[in-house]
Amino acid sequence: MDFVNIAMVAVVSALAAFLTNQGIAVFNDGLRPIMPEFVEGRMTRKELAATAFAMGFGLVIGFGIPFSLTATILLVHCIFLGTDIIGTATPNGKMGGMIAAAVGALYGVGIKLGLEAIVKAFEMLPVNFMASLGEVGKPVVIAFAVFPALAVAYQYGVKKGLINLVISLLARQLIVRFGVFTIGGAKIVLNPEGTALLVGMIILLLFALNEKAPKEESVDLVALFSDRVARIRKNLPFLMVMGALVAAATSMKIMAGDPISLNLIKEGNLNDAAFAALARGIGFVPLVASTAIATGVYGPVGMTFVFAAALFIGNPIIAAVAGAIIIGLEVLLLGAIAKGLDKYPGIRKAGDNIRTAMSQLLEVALLVGGMNAANAIAPGIGFFLVAGLYILNEIAGKPVVRMAVGPIAAIITGILVNIMAVIGLFQIPA
Amino acid sequence: MKIVVGGAVEKQAVADLIKKIAGEKAEVLIMSDVQAAMAIKSKAADYYFGACHTGGGGALSMAIALLTKAKCATISMPGRPPKEEDVAHEVAEGKVAFGFTADHMNEAVPMILKHILA
Repeated sequence: MDFVNIAMVAVVSALAAFLTNQGIAVFNDGLRPIMPEFVEGRMTRKELAATAFAMGFGLVIGFGIPFSLTATILLVHCIFLGTDIIGTATPNGKMGGMIAAAVGALYGVGIKLGLEAIVKAFEMLPVNFMASLGEVGKPVVIAFAVFPALAVAYQYGVKKGLINLVISLLARQLIVRFGVFTIGGAKIVLNPEGTALLVGMIILLLFALNEKAPKEESVDLVALFSDRVARIRKNLPFLMVMGALVAAATSMKIMAGDPISLNLIKEGNLNDAAFAALARGIGFVPLVASTAIATGVYGPVGMTFVFAAALFIGNPIIAAVAGAIIIGLEVLLLGAIAKGLDKYPGIRKAGDNIRTAMSQLLEVALLVGGMNAANAIAPGIGFFLVAGLYILNEIAGKPVVRMAVGPIAAIITGILVNIMAVIGLFQIPA
Repeated sequence: MKIVVGGAVEKQAVADLIKKIAGEKAEVLIMSDVQAAMAIKSKAADYYFGACHTGGGGALSMAIALLTKAKCATISMPGRPPKEEDVAHEVAEGKVAFGFTADHMNEAVPMILKHILA
């Protein structure tokens, strides 16, 4: 099984690096807009690789790896930000593509085995903090369901946001109290968080659909960039294979698309993880569609719906088929999606607000989770260290992205108490 | 001077911050990223600001596509706070569209304004 998992990661990484090398797909939404500069010859490969590195490396170290460590599931950012760098740094042409694939495969295997080795090493330390580190994700797996209410608050004011929050909360409590019942001998358990999220999303979408398009001329993106849209269509077979592989790997619980579903998968709440991934996907549609149309370059995970499908389905082979179909539909419908977004500007704005709300929510939930985890590892010291490191990061101008400070500080706490235990400053709890 | 806020997250907060610092010196408008980039292209506005999670994706994608890279600069990335000398350099090079990460906006916006208002 372990061999199959490693092989999966290798294949996913190899294809992703190849696609980046050929200018077909990049993962980082910030790198995608620059790709045409390279593809159309206004930028050298060296400059492009330097940009990819600058944009991605910090996130691999400061975001992808800490989350993957706390849950021992790979956050896809670890893999795809790396393959963005590898794909841009390898030479042009078919040969370059092959080199990118080979290096990509090695990188994927390295990340997977490297992270496993780190976890094993942590487990051998005198103070084993891996179990307590799981506390980092605890607040997230409940609190994630509030983000639609926050997105409503961003878009339509605090009052409507609060109303959505209260309705979502009521829905949650109704399910907690009355969500377990038996029909014809079969026990049915409805899920409180999934329901709260669903109710919140429906309210957000109802508000958003009601927003009328302004009278000003809308710009027809698809007509403006028709050659670039054609370029994505031409590469569709590659993209569908990529979607299939990502969906299969996600359904095998090897990787997760975002920190929320990652923590939910770890807790075994696969349906919640699927709903969270689906809601997040809605947040990414406008961003991925507009960057793709304007650049002719797609993303290895598309609009991220492949993750939701994989988690709903569970079976790797069926997930793979669904993943390929989903990416295929996304690409074929790019024009229709862009037109739809022009017609319903509320949905486009909701996309941005969903992403803002999710990251704000994660910043809070992971800080609290980080504090709880650190304090479970080392009572007293934990709160002291995480609070201190969080604010030091703020003062330093945020060299680490805010949402990663909690998890990283908890890991640092774990390492530090081990050092202290060795020199006799920390008594190992019996 | 007319400043448009185009991409993508925390647009209101970015616009408020610009207004607070620039005061009377700038008129600030929030638009969709496409409209904002078109406003720069048609010379209806002078500068474009955008925040997102990468500093260059949601923030600048449309600006780069419509105005070319030569007019756009990402001045902060995740884990890479903005640097005064870089901002000065980009402004001197004639960049008119600026992207940064939302969590760096309190550092980035004053830096950019300082150089474009100078």
